[in-house]
Amino acid sequence: MSLREFLSDRLGQIVLQLSCAALTALFLLATGTQPGIIIILLAVVLTVLGTVLIVGFLRQRSRLRELEAVMAGLDQTYLFTECVPPPRNPYERRLFDLTRRAGRDMVGEVSDARAAQREYREYVERWVHEIKTPITAARLICRNLEGDTRRRLTFELGQVEAHVERALFYARAESPERDCVIRQTRLNEIVTQAVENHRTLLIQNNVRLETEGLDCCVYTDGKWAAFILGQLLQNAARYRGESPVVFISARPLGKQVQLTVRDNGIGIPAHELPRVLDRGFTGSNGRSRNGSTGMGLYLCKKLAGFLDLDLRLTSEEGEGTTVLLTFPAKENLTKM
Amino acid sequence: MHKIMIIEDDPTIRDELALLLDNEGYCSVAVTDFADIAEQAAQIAPDLILLDIGLPGQDGFILCAGLRKAVRAPVIFVTSRDSGQDEVRGLSLGGDDYITKPYSVPVLLARIKAVLRRTGDTPEPDTLQAAGLILRLTQGTASVGGKTVDLTRNELKILACLMEHQGCIVSRADLIDALWDSQIYIDDNTLSVNITRLRGKLGELGLPDYIKTRRGMGYQL
Repeated sequence: MSLREFLSDRLGQIVLQLSCAALTALFLLATGTQPGIIIILLAVVLTVLGTVLIVGFLRQRSRLRELEAVMAGLDQTYLFTECVPPPRNPYERRLFDLTRRAGRDMVGEVSDARAAQREYREYVERWVHEIKTPITAARLICRNLEGDTRRRLTFELGQVEAHVERALFYARAESPERDCVIRQTRLNEIVTQAVENHRTLLIQNNVRLETEGLDCCVYTDGKWAAFILGQLLQNAARYRGESPVVFISARPLGKQVQLTVRDNGIGIPAHELPRVLDRGFTGSNGRSRNGSTGMGLYLCKKLAGFLDLDLRLTSEEGEGTTVLLTFPAKENLTKM
Repeated sequence: MHKIMIIEDDPTIRDELALLLDNEGYCSVAVTDFADIAEQAAQIAPDLILLDIGLPGQDGFILCAGLRKAVRAPVIFVTSRDSGQDEVRGLSLGGDDYITKPYSVPVLLARIKAVLRRTGDTPEPDTLQAAGLILRLTQGTASVGGKTVDLTRNELKILACLMEHQGCIVSRADLIDALWDSQIYIDDNTLSVNITRLRGKLGELGLPDYIKTRRGMGYQL
């Protein structure tokens, strides 16, 4: 609070006090008091009034600073009223009471919302685990069908799984520390897992995969990394060009490992490139080919953040898309 | 014949799995009463146990520890809980492998095969024979009489797949599937190229028509 704000707040009081002093002076002058005495009286009165004003200002300022310091020290600022120092006067007490009541309601709302969110997440996770049983059963039953029907049904089941998987990871991304286990993992295994998860989609789209230099170790959570890679493979299949080929290669980058996933698909228009990692963004490609949810790459970016994975995406329209995934060196893993 | 014990609470999966394993040449025994599994396992004496660790009212991990004491057979965990922590815990309790639902059938079969090979004493056959041709898998060669040719990894896999299904028609899609199983991710065109090369090499051995094309259906030996 500045002095100016304080003074304008007290303006009425100051004007009243000054008018009283002026009227008193006029009255004294009219009743024959000597002007010298009046001036002395006025000087004393004004000094006292000014001092009171300045002391009031300083006290109010220090009180505000004290309260602001309490607020600054809080992680959850809505708990402010629970932590304020005792009120100094009845007026402050009433004010604190009011804000405390508002704050308590807010805390209640916040914890209710948190609980609801946690319950929802748990429900989604349980649902995902439950839906996996009938999908597995359907896959096994498919085995008894003759060739083409089996392949087509297996393909559709694969699509169902991909959607389920995205829902699961979306729920997990809310509290990653619960599921994420960083450990030494062979890059080969991650790639094999990701390919296996989406093989029907890839084969159906006649995609050829070429791998190179994957015989190395990275420090990451294999499942999460395989999920990220799986999204990239799905995109490569969905936005494929003529005779689609996906190159997956890895090379050491100092102590880090850089994984490159390059396709020769239809690519992404330059003006859409900055937004493809945004939540719910479906570019012109996504709109022209059904099935884009705008969640795949968004989840990739989010999960990559938790894994300390550096994810970069470049693309040339009509040429293809390249994604660079840089796995962190062991000693740089600090977050989890 | 390997005896595989199935511990799974979902009846559809249990029945289909038993059927699948029987068709694949295993002898499956499905457990329907989960009261004293360790005891049942001791009676059945399986070569491999497929254990669903999400059984109702039981902790699969504790169950596994009990099974371990009762029998020496390897255990493959099957679960729909696929968080990394579950996996670490499962393997630390002595699971030999860990597979998550929904698994694809080829992957499940490959894992079973791998675990049985690792723990059992039946090594993978190294040579395949069909209609006069001998295929040596580790050397990567095919020979007839005294003549031998070297095959590439792709050609070897294609020929092995056809020889394993001798007399049956193997569709192009099945061949691609089989190659993808071995982490050879080829497309339709590459398959054609590989088949042509393979036929050329078999021609050198005096078997130009060894692989017959069944138009619209696939290939046959």
